[in-house]
Amino acid sequence: MSQGFGPPPPGFGPPQYPPGAGGPVVHDAHTLPADDNVNPYTFSVHLDGQWFLQRGKMIAYYGQIDFHGLGHGPLDRLVASSFHSPLHAAQWVVAQGRGRMLLADRAFDINSYDLDQGNLTIRSGNLLAFSPGLALKQSIIPGFLTLIGTGKFVAASNGAVVFVEPPIRVDPQALVGWADCPSPCHHYDHSYLRGVLGGVRMLTGLGGLSGEEHQFEFAGAGQVLLQSSETLMDGIDTGSVPWEPGMPGGPEGMAGGGRGPGGRGPLPF
Amino acid sequence: MAFTQLTSKMVRADVAPGQVVFSQRGAMLAYTGQVTFTPSITGGQGGLGSMLGRRIAHEAVPLMTVEGHGAVMFGHGGHHAHVVDLSGETLYVESDRLLAFEGSLEQGTMFMGSQGGVMGVIRGQVTGQGLFTTTLTGYGSVAVLAHGGVFELPVTPQAAVHVDPQAYVAHRGDLRNRLSTAVGWREMVGRGSGESFQLELSGSGTVYVQASEEKL
Repeated sequence: MSQGFGPPPPGFGPPQYPPGAGGPVVHDAHTLPADDNVNPYTFSVHLDGQWFLQRGKMIAYYGQIDFHGLGHGPLDRLVASSFHSPLHAAQWVVAQGRGRMLLADRAFDINSYDLDQGNLTIRSGNLLAFSPGLALKQSIIPGFLTLIGTGKFVAASNGAVVFVEPPIRVDPQALVGWADCPSPCHHYDHSYLRGVLGGVRMLTGLGGLSGEEHQFEFAGAGQVLLQSSETLMDGIDTGSVPWEPGMPGGPEGMAGGGRGPGGRGPLPF
Repeated sequence: MAFTQLTSKMVRADVAPGQVVFSQRGAMLAYTGQVTFTPSITGGQGGLGSMLGRRIAHEAVPLMTVEGHGAVMFGHGGHHAHVVDLSGETLYVESDRLLAFEGSLEQGTMFMGSQGGVMGVIRGQVTGQGLFTTTLTGYGSVAVLAHGGVFELPVTPQAAVHVDPQAYVAHRGDLRNRLSTAVGWREMVGRGSGESFQLELSGSGTVYVQASEEKL
């Protein structure tokens, strides 16, 4: 991981220019960092080969780079080895060539992460780009994508990402992703809604709710990535999974319910 | 102190048995350990009287009580959070800017008119503080929300500080604030500089300013 644990360097406001820089830093093709952040909001990829990026996240490049939409063209074999989801491939673009490519997303904080024979699951809207050593798969958690393999990927977050280790319970909106630990489960905390008074409170809404009744709970070894705000980024379509018996959720995405035998959900059609 | 600034937008509070932390409802991002979150009906400290006072003063924000043993991370709405450690002074801040504060602090409500009479009331209207503002006194930490990063400007008896009312976040210490106006014929014909109202803070203390003129 290219970012450490614990509190980041002191100082307020994200833009932290290198020490000694007295103003805007002027870059050219040779001084742009290779596979590193230019500033907290921009990442520079040293491209020699291919990278995958979410459509529309490239802001500038030096060199000879071609951008191919997925689903057609000469890269079908590469695509077949890196994408394993049925439908969302159209959201992605292959950058091919040599040069420096700058990635950014609406002034959100950008970070890069290295995976070494690892796996990491991330909220779909936060993933900007990844190198072909990684395979992109749909997580069984709707709206999340899983990256498996060795390579580098770039993700955006609202505010800098903080790493924490389980056991921890996380507000659903603050969750960016998790690495190397099993999937989260839901945790409900209604302890203050006990008893008669609690019942009255729950039924009438008197006294309000704390807004913290529901969290994702993580256990086991690994790392959980938190973003420091509760503002979500737009998700991208992760594609839908063809429904079959044994899939989590029903064909409508509703958990469990339905009239089919064995709780398999409503019968299709 | 019990609050740690993790990033510019995230604050960690360590909670131990016997220590209460109040926070804005829904502002918890994550926690470890055994921590419970209970909505505070009275909206903070004190009993029914304090609650009524806050309701009347429109300084009542939905707060929750955080208790237990562990560490809680707070953040809200993508706003910047800033930790202020108080050691006996009073912090004057709008209640909706309060992200979290320790229960060891005494929470109060202050009428703007008590600082400068009618001009205090007008000042409250211009800064968007309204007629009342919240005070926190004692020993403990406060996490304050702001749009854009927060910086502290020290105020000394020799050097008064002028702040744009919209960029004002909070102040602490023994400060007198005064709304200084520079309204002339230019403002009347719509050719003003846009800086005709300024908040002048004098005395000794600290004023917290956000790097934005946007309200929360």
